[in-house]
Amino acid sequence: MTTLPAVDSSFIDVPEVAPRKLARKASGVDRVFELTASAIGATVLLITGGIGAFLAWQSVPTLEHYGWSFFTESAWQPEADSLGIGAVLVGTLSVAAVAMAIAFPLAVLTALFISEYAPANLKATLISLVDLMAAVPSIIYGMWGYFLVMPHAAAFALWLQQNFGWIPIFQVDSDPNAAVWDVSRYVGSAFCAGIAVAMMVLPMSCAVMRQVFSQTPPGEKEAALALGSTRWGMVRTVVIPFGRGGIIGGTMLGLGRALGETIAVLLIISPDFVIKPRLLEVGTNTVSALIAGRFGDASAAQLSALLTAGFVLFVITLIVNTLAAIIVNRSRSGAGTDA
Amino acid sequence: MNRRLSQLLVLLMLALLPGLVTGAAAQADEGLPAPAQRAAYAQIEGSGSTWSEVIVQQWISDVDALGMKVTYNGGGSSQGRKNFAQNVTDFGISEIPYPGVDEFGNADNSNGREFAYVPIVAGGTAFTYQLKIGNELVRNLRLSGETVAKIFTGQITDWSDPAIAKDNNGRAFPKLPITPVVRSDGSGTTAQFTTWMDAEYPSIWQPYYGRQGFTSYYPRQGRMIAQSGSDQVMNTISGFSGNGHIGYVEYAYPINKDFPVVKVLNEGGFYVEPTQYNVAVALTKAQINQDKASDDYLTQILTGVYRSTDPRAYPLSSYSYMIIPTGAQDQRMSTAKRQTLADFMYYSLCEGQSKAGPYGYSPLPLNLVQAGFQQLAQLSTADPAVDLTNRDVTKCNNPTFVAGDLKRNKLAEVAPQPASCDKQGEGPCGTETGTGEPSTDDENALETETAPAKKGKKATAAATPTTPPDSGGTPTGATTIDPVTGEVVNPPAGTNVETVSDTGVSGEPLYATPTELSAERPMDSKAFGWLAVIELLALILVPGILISRRAGRNGATR
Repeated sequence: MTTLPAVDSSFIDVPEVAPRKLARKASGVDRVFELTASAIGATVLLITGGIGAFLAWQSVPTLEHYGWSFFTESAWQPEADSLGIGAVLVGTLSVAAVAMAIAFPLAVLTALFISEYAPANLKATLISLVDLMAAVPSIIYGMWGYFLVMPHAAAFALWLQQNFGWIPIFQVDSDPNAAVWDVSRYVGSAFCAGIAVAMMVLPMSCAVMRQVFSQTPPGEKEAALALGSTRWGMVRTVVIPFGRGGIIGGTMLGLGRALGETIAVLLIISPDFVIKPRLLEVGTNTVSALIAGRFGDASAAQLSALLTAGFVLFVITLIVNTLAAIIVNRSRSGAGTDA
Repeated sequence: MNRRLSQLLVLLMLALLPGLVTGAAAQADEGLPAPAQRAAYAQIEGSGSTWSEVIVQQWISDVDALGMKVTYNGGGSSQGRKNFAQNVTDFGISEIPYPGVDEFGNADNSNGREFAYVPIVAGGTAFTYQLKIGNELVRNLRLSGETVAKIFTGQITDWSDPAIAKDNNGRAFPKLPITPVVRSDGSGTTAQFTTWMDAEYPSIWQPYYGRQGFTSYYPRQGRMIAQSGSDQVMNTISGFSGNGHIGYVEYAYPINKDFPVVKVLNEGGFYVEPTQYNVAVALTKAQINQDKASDDYLTQILTGVYRSTDPRAYPLSSYSYMIIPTGAQDQRMSTAKRQTLADFMYYSLCEGQSKAGPYGYSPLPLNLVQAGFQQLAQLSTADPAVDLTNRDVTKCNNPTFVAGDLKRNKLAEVAPQPASCDKQGEGPCGTETGTGEPSTDDENALETETAPAKKGKKATAAATPTTPPDSGGTPTGATTIDPVTGEVVNPPAGTNVETVSDTGVSGEPLYATPTELSAERPMDSKAFGWLAVIELLALILVPGILISRRAGRNGATR
C-alpha cells in the first residue's frame, strides 16, 4: 500500500486565476504599419473624392447657367452660348455599346478557353499575351483602328446596311446599292471607334472573368465530370453559374473603361454633334474625345462646360465601376454557386 | 574582407571628391553670361499654327545641330494665341493677330503679356482634293473663287456641277458628291480662308455664316467633315475614303503627300497654283501695317492680294506670324531663353528662308526680314545680356534679295508667266499640280529647282551656301547661283531645263464622261454574298464534322 505524500497546500502559492492581459492597441512596428497603411488607403479616397469635388465645384457655374438644358442640348457652340452634352452622351453610350457588343463574347470565350480548355503549358503564355494587350497604349489602338481596320469596317458597315438596313441602328443616310458606294459616309463612325475600343476593353474584362472562373471549386467540377458530364456540360453547369458574378463584373469594368476611352476615339471619329441612333454613319463624338479635342483652345466659359461634361462622365464611370466591384466581390464569396 | 572593402570605398570617395567640387565650379562658371563665347541656350517651347508647322519643324531640326532646343506643337492658331496669353509657351505662331475680342465677343488678347509680331514665312492656302476618274487621280482641277466659295458653303454639292465644268473649260467631272473637309479647331487657316470669302464673296459667305466677318471656327454643315489640325485634314482627304473630298491647307501639305491642289482663278484671268513665285507676286500687293506704335505693327491687310490683277498672283496668299514676348519682366523668359529665341529666329528669317520654296512656302521679302530683325531687337531691349551683334539682312541667303533695294523682290520679278493653257477659256493644262513646280510656257524662265529636301536627307544648318549671292545683281557669270537653294549650279542658266514642266505637251489631261451609273440591283450581289457566307461556314465546319464522324466510327468499331 502506498500512500501519496500529503501535500501541504500552504506551500504552493496559488495565484489568482486571471487571463493574460491582451493589448487591444497595436504597438511598435505594428502600429507604424497600421498607421502607414491606413494613411495610404485614405489618400486614395481623398484623391478620388478630391477629383469629384473639384469637378463638381467647377461645374457649378455651367449648371447654373444652362440648367437642365445642358443635358438635352446637342450642339456644342460655346461661342454662340449654346451648348450641351446631349449628343456627346449619346455618342459615348453608342461607342461603348458597340465596344461591349464586340468585346463581351470575345472576353467570355477567351477567359473560358484559358481557364478550362487551354493545355497547361500554353496557359501562362496566353495569360501574358492577354495582359500584354492591356499594356499597349491606346494611341496604338487608335492608329490600328484608323489605318488598318477602318477600310474593312466601312465595307462591313455597307454589308450590314444592305442586309440589315431595316433595323434603325444600321441605317445610313446613303444609297447602299449605288454603283460606286459613298465610302465617306461609312467611316469615322461610332462603329469604327467601337471596334478599337473593344480591343482595349477586352483584356481587362477577360482578366477579371478568368480569375473568377479559375476559382470554381474543383470538387464541383470533378463531381460534374464524375456524373458523366462532358467538358462543355461541366462548363455550362458549374463554371459559368459560379462565375456569373465575374462575368457581369468584368463586363461592367470594361464598360467603365469603354466610356472613358479618349485618344483612340479622338483619332478615329469625325466629330459631329447630332443625337443619332445610326451607329454606322460618319460623325459622332464622345465626352472624353470632346474634352481632349476642345481643351486646348477653350475659353474660360467653355472650360467650365468641359469640366462639367467631365464631371458627368466621372459620375457615370464611378457608378458603373462601383457596381462592378460589388458584383465581383459577391461572386468571390461563392454566393453565386447555388444560383 | 568587409573592412577592406569599406576602406577601399572611402578611398574612392576621397579620390572623387575633388573632381566633384571642380565639376560644380565649372558649372557655376558656365552659368555666368560674360565669359562664355557662345551664349548659353535654354529650351524654348511654342505652339500654334499648323499652317506653318511644316517649315517651322524643319527650322527646329536645323538649329538643333547648333545646340538650340526648340519644341513646337501645332494645335491651331487659336490655341497658339491662347497658350501665349496664358504664359504656357515662350512663343506662339498665328496667321492672324490678336483680334482683341473674337467673333462671339469672348476675349482673345494677350492677357497683358507684352508681345510683338514677327513675320516668319509667306505661303498660299491651297485647296487640295481627291477626285478619281477611272481610279486615276485628277491632278489639274481648276476652280474660280466663286465656285470654291459655293462649294464650302453648300451651294455646289456635286462634282458634275456645270459651274465646275465651266471653270475647266467645259471638261466635266463624274457625278460624285463633294465632301468639303474643314477644320474643327480654332484655326488661322480657317481665318484666312473665311477672310477671303468675306471680302470677295460676301453674298455667298455671309448668309451661310449668318453674320459678317471672318471666323477661326468653321461652321460645319451638311456633308462637311470637320477635322482638327492641317495634317488630319490632309489625312482625311488623302485617305482611302477621300474620293470626292476637298479641303483647305497650306501648300506644303499636298506637296508632302504628293497630292494635287486646285488652280484658283485670279483677277488677271489665269488659274494659278500657290507656288513660291505666285505667292511672292501676290504678296507684293499686301498692305503691311507700318505704324511702329501700333500693336498690330507688321500685320497684313490682304484685300490687295485678293484682287491683284497680275496673271501670276495666287489670291489666297498670306504671311504667318510669330508672337514673341518682349516684356522685360516676362515671367517665363530668361536670358538664355531670349538668346535661343533670337538665334532661332535669326536662322529662320535669314538662312531658313531659302528652304521656304522647296517646302511649299514662299520666302519673305527682305524688307519684312529686316523689320523682323528690328522686332527681335526688342528682346535685347528687354534684356541687355542678349547678344544680337553681327546681324545683317543682306548677308542672308534670301532668294528674294536684290542688292541695294530691300523693297524689291527678286522672286516676284523672276516669277514665270502662267502657261497660256491656264488662261480662263483655254486649256486646261495637262500638267500636274502639287509638285511645287510652276506651270509655265517659258522654259528659260527659271533654273532647276532642287527637289524638296523632304525627299530623304535632312538639310542641316551646317550646310551653308558656299558663296553668298554676289552683289552684282542677277548672276550672269559662268557659275550661277540657284535662287532657291543658294547652291552653285554648274551649268549656266538656260541649259538645264528638263525639270521645268512643259505644259500641255506631254501631260495627259484626264477627261471624264459624266455618266451616272444606275444603282446596282440588290439581288445581284446579295445572292453571291450569302453564297460566300455559306461557303465560309462550310470551310470551317466541314472538316471538323468529317473528322468527328470518322473518330466516332473508329470508336464504334473498337
